[in-house]
Amino acid sequence: MKSYKPTRRTFLKTTTAAAALIGFGPAVLRQASAQDADLKPYQSAKINWRQAEGESITVAVIPASYFDNLISLEPQFKALTGINLRFEKIPPAQIRQKSVIDLTSKTGTYATHAADPMYYSLYAANKWVDQLDTYLNDASLTDKGWFNADDIFAAWRGANSVDGKLYGMPYDGEVTIQVYRKDLYQAKGLKAADTLEDYMKNAAAVHAPNDRIWGAALRGVAGAGQNMYIYPSLFREFGGEWFKGGKLVVNGAEAEAALAYYVDLMRKYAPNAASNWNWPDIADAFSQGTLGSYLDAHSSASVVNNPDKSKVIGKVAYARWPKGPTGKRVSSIWNWGFPINAAQSEKKKKATWLFIQWAASAETQARTAHKFAGPTKRSGANRASVWKDAEYVKLLNGFGDDFVKVAMEALQNDTDVDWRPRVPQWPAIGDTMATAIQSALSGQNSVKAALDDAQKRIEPMMRG
Amino acid sequence: MPSAGNSVAATPAGAATSDFGRVLAQRERRFATLLLAPAFLALLVTTTFPLLFLVYTSAYRIDLAMPFANGFVGFENYAVLLQDSRFWQSLVISMVYTISTVILQVVIGIALALFVMDMKRGQGWFRLIAILPVVLSPAVVGMIWRTFMLAPEFGIVDYLAINAGLGSKNWLGDPTLAMVSVVVIHTWQWTPFAFMVLLASLAALPDDIYEAARIDRASAWQRFRRITLPLLRPAIVMVIIMRTMVALTAFAAIFTVTGGGPGTATEILNLYAYRKSFTELSIGYGSALAVALLIVTIIISAILFAIRRSK
Repeated sequence: MKSYKPTRRTFLKTTTAAAALIGFGPAVLRQASAQDADLKPYQSAKINWRQAEGESITVAVIPASYFDNLISLEPQFKALTGINLRFEKIPPAQIRQKSVIDLTSKTGTYATHAADPMYYSLYAANKWVDQLDTYLNDASLTDKGWFNADDIFAAWRGANSVDGKLYGMPYDGEVTIQVYRKDLYQAKGLKAADTLEDYMKNAAAVHAPNDRIWGAALRGVAGAGQNMYIYPSLFREFGGEWFKGGKLVVNGAEAEAALAYYVDLMRKYAPNAASNWNWPDIADAFSQGTLGSYLDAHSSASVVNNPDKSKVIGKVAYARWPKGPTGKRVSSIWNWGFPINAAQSEKKKKATWLFIQWAASAETQARTAHKFAGPTKRSGANRASVWKDAEYVKLLNGFGDDFVKVAMEALQNDTDVDWRPRVPQWPAIGDTMATAIQSALSGQNSVKAALDDAQKRIEPMMRG
Repeated sequence: MPSAGNSVAATPAGAATSDFGRVLAQRERRFATLLLAPAFLALLVTTTFPLLFLVYTSAYRIDLAMPFANGFVGFENYAVLLQDSRFWQSLVISMVYTISTVILQVVIGIALALFVMDMKRGQGWFRLIAILPVVLSPAVVGMIWRTFMLAPEFGIVDYLAINAGLGSKNWLGDPTLAMVSVVVIHTWQWTPFAFMVLLASLAALPDDIYEAARIDRASAWQRFRRITLPLLRPAIVMVIIMRTMVALTAFAAIFTVTGGGPGTATEILNLYAYRKSFTELSIGYGSALAVALLIVTIIISAILFAIRRSK
């Protein structure tokens, strides 16, 4: 045994440390207690948040304000769970490819990623991701009452399910709606279109390219998430069915009528360049006051209401998708969800699930939306309870007339799980359709030829 | 490497030294091999192996969307490829793209080189400015053209077109104009390369022949036709070979400008292979397309090299 004899150096060290603790102690404690208050709503869940303490996980997201808000809450997650969370931002065009490459090589680089709902069939067919029901039903991992998964929009959960099994937890989503200039419509005595026919007529009425106002615009640029995001709504509204007798059919009378409508509207009333536009271009044009109306995601409202850029604030109103000839309204079911990468250790999967549960919970949803301190709040919260929160409603109604009402109605009535063909071959089908649509929009092909060609190309893809 | 060994082995004087020389030569050879090995290995790992793996992959069906259907298919991918109208269409587009860009680059390159040769002043500046597009990344060039030059109403090209009375054109939205646009973009970026090479060989041409021609009262056109062109021939052929290979495998600029669109109007073979592999996730068939492109490139280069050697 060695007796402890302090040298001069250790004595000095100890005293300095003690003095420092006395001096800064209260500040450290105050911070800790502030964090405790931050964590309180989470700690009411009857699970052990710290069961995967010390794990490190990487989450791939897209560069968007709704994920930036989540990223800013990372210290709270760390304090709650002790899990090291790293975010990697990948642009939307590449995130699908990157995650597929990660999943297929089974490297487990991304514990979870912001996933496209159309990809779950592919993921499930390859068993790349885990079923979430296992995690939801495990009482040690999930406090069902606290998390309340049923509060999350059923349409979005449905979109992220394959054969009734949930594979991705919705974090943020959107529905497509009609956005229009109420001042222009009022001047011509128009109302928001109830049918697609009215929509065309309204576009014709406000169309005045010489005064730099075009009637309407839809996404024209080719891409499974661009023009193939708008076309499926038209296709379904014109009575199209993706599957006829178990076979995927993309041509035929309904498809031709739907695509002809798309081409007609774009050729007659959209700016020339719109055939290469994606939604930000449309929203920009609209905020510059050069568009009468557009059909796109409700989340684009934050762009057309950006006080730095927009010239149309206060002149914007919203309505649901116009009805098609069948009387149906079909909106998009889009959400960024989080799946669990199957190529990970059990402990990492637990850590991933804790992250997902935290991100999708009502509390985090509120903290990234109306309770968020920064300037850009989210408009795509995943839960009905958040959408009923008076503060959230107040925030969103700042975007213009009827915004929350329209978005809620669209979410509850106009979503259609079979909006797009949900099969593992979707990436190929989506791309083929996008190319076909653009070739019709640009006049490279007639509507019929474009669709027949797409059908010819899709048939071999579906053969096993 | 053997030449280094031979030179040592060529010095022996007697039987004993010859033995010694052989050992020395052997050592030298071993040393040379050792020096060569890292580069050779790196080359093997980074080019030869992936290439062979590509050929190997092309004999399989690898469809991420239908993992249960994957397996060895032999030449089936190639059989499908020969029946695939989009393959032939993209091959034709590749050819049109390559031939038109190479011809434009050579013609404009020669014209510029002749023009600059006669410049008394500012040659250096001209060369410096001309080289700028070459140092840009094709993806950046694509973005610049897409947003800054060709955007309807706001782009410089469209502004000029409006002022010239042609009216605003949908440069990237119309199938024919989109093709013209990507050809122009490639030509814009790479003509300076042809120009620099041709200018250098032009400067190296002997003056006395021209003097003799002038004494014989040859016209400017005759001098160009009979003297300049034949003398420049090796340089021109070299430029054609290099530019053809690059144009056949072009990707980044078209990818960023049109993505192969509108529809499939500018979808070169390279883009089609990329789409098949990474968007549609049919890796086997995508590999077959890439191998087809490789074969086409090799055949065309072989023909060009043969032409080069023929005279």
